[in-house]
Amino acid sequence: MKQISAKDIKDLCCGAAFLATGGGGDPYVSQLAAERLLEKHGPANLMAPEEIPDDFNVVSIGMVGAPTVTLEQLPTEDEAVKAFDAYEQQTGRKIDAVIPFEVGGGNSTIPLTVAAVRGVPCIDGDGMGRALPEAQMMTFPLYGVKPTPAVLMDSWGNSAVLHCNDPLTFEKHIRAMAVAMGGMISSAEHGMTGKQASEAAVPKTISFATKLGQLLRNHNGSIDAIESELISLFANTQYGAVKRLYTGKVVDSERKIIGGYDVGSAALQSFDANLEPMTLLIKNEYLVAKVGDQVVASVPDLICIVEQETSRPLNAERMRYGQRVAVFGIGCTHHYRTEAALKVTSPRAFGFDMDYVALEDIR
Amino acid sequence: MKIGIDVGGTHTDAVVLSGSEILATHKALTSSDVKEGIVNALDAVMFGASLKPSDVSAVMIGTTHFTNAVIERKHLSCTAIIRACLPTGTGIPPQCDWPEDIANSLGNHVYSIKGGHTFSGDEIHALDDVEIRSVIKDIAHKGIESIAVAAAFSPMNPAHEVYIANKIRAEIPNANITLSHEIGRLGLLERENAALLNAALGSLADTVVSSMKQALIERQIDCPFFVSQNDGTLMSADYIANYPALTFASGPTNSLRGAAMLSQISDAIVVDIGGTTSDVGVLANGFPRESNSFIDVGGIRTNFRMPDIMAIGVGGGSLVSADGTSVGPKSVGHRLVTEGLVFGGNQVTATDIVVAAGLHSIGDMQKVAHLKPEMIEAAGDEMHRLIDDAIDRMRPSDDPVPVILVGGGSILVSQQLNSASKVVCPEHADVANAIGAAIAQVGGEVESIISYSKIKREDAIAKSTQEAKDKAVLAGADGNSLRVLDVEETPMSYMDDNAVRLRIKVVGELKQLVES
Repeated sequence: MKQISAKDIKDLCCGAAFLATGGGGDPYVSQLAAERLLEKHGPANLMAPEEIPDDFNVVSIGMVGAPTVTLEQLPTEDEAVKAFDAYEQQTGRKIDAVIPFEVGGGNSTIPLTVAAVRGVPCIDGDGMGRALPEAQMMTFPLYGVKPTPAVLMDSWGNSAVLHCNDPLTFEKHIRAMAVAMGGMISSAEHGMTGKQASEAAVPKTISFATKLGQLLRNHNGSIDAIESELISLFANTQYGAVKRLYTGKVVDSERKIIGGYDVGSAALQSFDANLEPMTLLIKNEYLVAKVGDQVVASVPDLICIVEQETSRPLNAERMRYGQRVAVFGIGCTHHYRTEAALKVTSPRAFGFDMDYVALEDIR
Repeated sequence: MKIGIDVGGTHTDAVVLSGSEILATHKALTSSDVKEGIVNALDAVMFGASLKPSDVSAVMIGTTHFTNAVIERKHLSCTAIIRACLPTGTGIPPQCDWPEDIANSLGNHVYSIKGGHTFSGDEIHALDDVEIRSVIKDIAHKGIESIAVAAAFSPMNPAHEVYIANKIRAEIPNANITLSHEIGRLGLLERENAALLNAALGSLADTVVSSMKQALIERQIDCPFFVSQNDGTLMSADYIANYPALTFASGPTNSLRGAAMLSQISDAIVVDIGGTTSDVGVLANGFPRESNSFIDVGGIRTNFRMPDIMAIGVGGGSLVSADGTSVGPKSVGHRLVTEGLVFGGNQVTATDIVVAAGLHSIGDMQKVAHLKPEMIEAAGDEMHRLIDDAIDRMRPSDDPVPVILVGGGSILVSQQLNSASKVVCPEHADVANAIGAAIAQVGGEVESIISYSKIKREDAIAKSTQEAKDKAVLAGADGNSLRVLDVEETPMSYMDDNAVRLRIKVVGELKQLVES
């Protein structure tokens, strides 16, 4: 079994920020909190999906709410652990392993800290392979895993238990509860068997994000120099093809809050005068990339942006005129390529009037 | 008549202004004795402009003392931090990400207690008098007198910080207390760091301010004096003794503001070309555009109001490759005057290229006569490309912008820059910093998270604007001259549909100058 220790956290957070496709919030707070917990409690054991015993009792753990709130209400050391304990108490069963629901952003670290504190393994995989804003977009419900019972824990130790009829209702209720419980909560949800977890999880994403972050951080120079290494890192993973979609500078960036989302668009201009500008459509994450009128990548495929000269992932809220960026399209995991999955994750599910076209089928 | 003095790490600049007219300038190496340096600068410019002490209506000083103290970990007092946030925040205690050397300089006196507020304005926890008393007792027992206080969401509701401060004063009458809401914006960790640094600089601030005062007394200058802060506005000298950390970025800010006055352009890109680097900043409405990201001061993460500066490795001392296609980032720096070709050295620098191209006559032109025309042309093109590129990245939109060149290295620019609508190289640009200090105004700023579902947008803006104006008047501004400089609304993800972070900044003229 592999391990993740405090010294791996900076790499993991950098890789997780890349896979967050523009969302996931400022990774610094979650990085600090995770480093401290792993220093105190030792490393977390990582269990590969193929190693999970079929009858294991697995629960998914992470935080839900507004990242801006955590700028002031800094994380409570034991909040996610309390959610874990309360979940065991609520269901009356011991939890054998935890799994992240979202590798993109700070939620990649929360289950690792719980695993380190409670001495259970953390599954090397997650429920998205990226970042997405809503619960019904996870891979877990696509494989028949029910989101509830879910235990929500706030920083004061107040908890709530949700029982919902379907994933959409769960998403609606947990969002309302997050606001009522101080803006940011920990959630233990999507209980599943080991067998379900091994099928539903996007495999190896935690160890992969760590390797990815290591590549980007150690290099700390132009992305051009490590593009081939980046592409070969993605080869032989559950992700599809990696394509450099565009290189240019940000010439426009505009954002509004609509329906609880950070919605907007950004425009990039290529250094090659013959190329038309790129438009990025954003709803928390980068969801659609077009060059001129031609869609070159769309959700659930990943649109990942790095600063060209530093290779550091670029968060959508930090995007600003003049930044030089490289845009990559990365084929999503096969979990999202079914009709049922695309119904909840394709551009149409976000209100864009366009169908999903797989990255490898474009041009 | 106003006197502006900028005490930098290397040079001290001074200038006498009558309105916007420059009567005298002076540039000298910075002396290690604060008082002596200021006395010398005063003597030089007052002699230059034939001023009597009674002619001086105000003295404005910009200083890098406090930045350097943090960077060098010198003159920092033993300081305690009281953070009111429990039960939240236990995952990231105060100072947990500080470099060890500076954490040790402050003594690692860290206290977390119950208190603080949530985004919706409720108390995270009520303050506990017993807990507060025991913390203060412990601090008093250790003999610590510098204390920083930070409470969650205090920029929106400072009540808890104020309450704790009153309790401290009752027990430790000489305490030098910094409340985080007075110094930083949203972001507890960064604001708390800022408060800690500020408290730790308190005793140095007393020394520096009294040296400054002493210098004025020695030259019988009996007028108000001010210190310029990060955002290009002024603090009274007594205020700076309490808020030294607010001077951390006053150098680049003064350079930008000085450039605006010298060129009479309020929206432009300013390129300050030195020996090793060029600092590129943005003037919007006469003030520097501020950075969005976290600012590292001596290895500590803060969120001060700092100008957004991009430094690139091109300056007068930049080394040029043999074929001329590469310029910088390596540089001979201040050794240009001995190591550059035209000065008899053997390094090809950007300055040598300018001389070889016949654009300026500096040093011995014969020493660069052997450089090939292709090489001179290639190096000239490369310098312009690098500078043009930085301007392009910093400009606010795709439209060409006016570019103001300041600094000794501004001779490097001779060709058209593609991203510039025009290039201005104003007279007296070498003392732009001191001019920036001399023309600084007084400001006030308010930041809060507001739900437009609960309060109408116009009402919210009007209320915040009034609060900002009140702050500015308190800081010494003339109420009638105040104008709104910036209204910034940042929508907040995931929160209810109309929640925004609203930041309003106002500036005005100094009260004393309006009256006199």
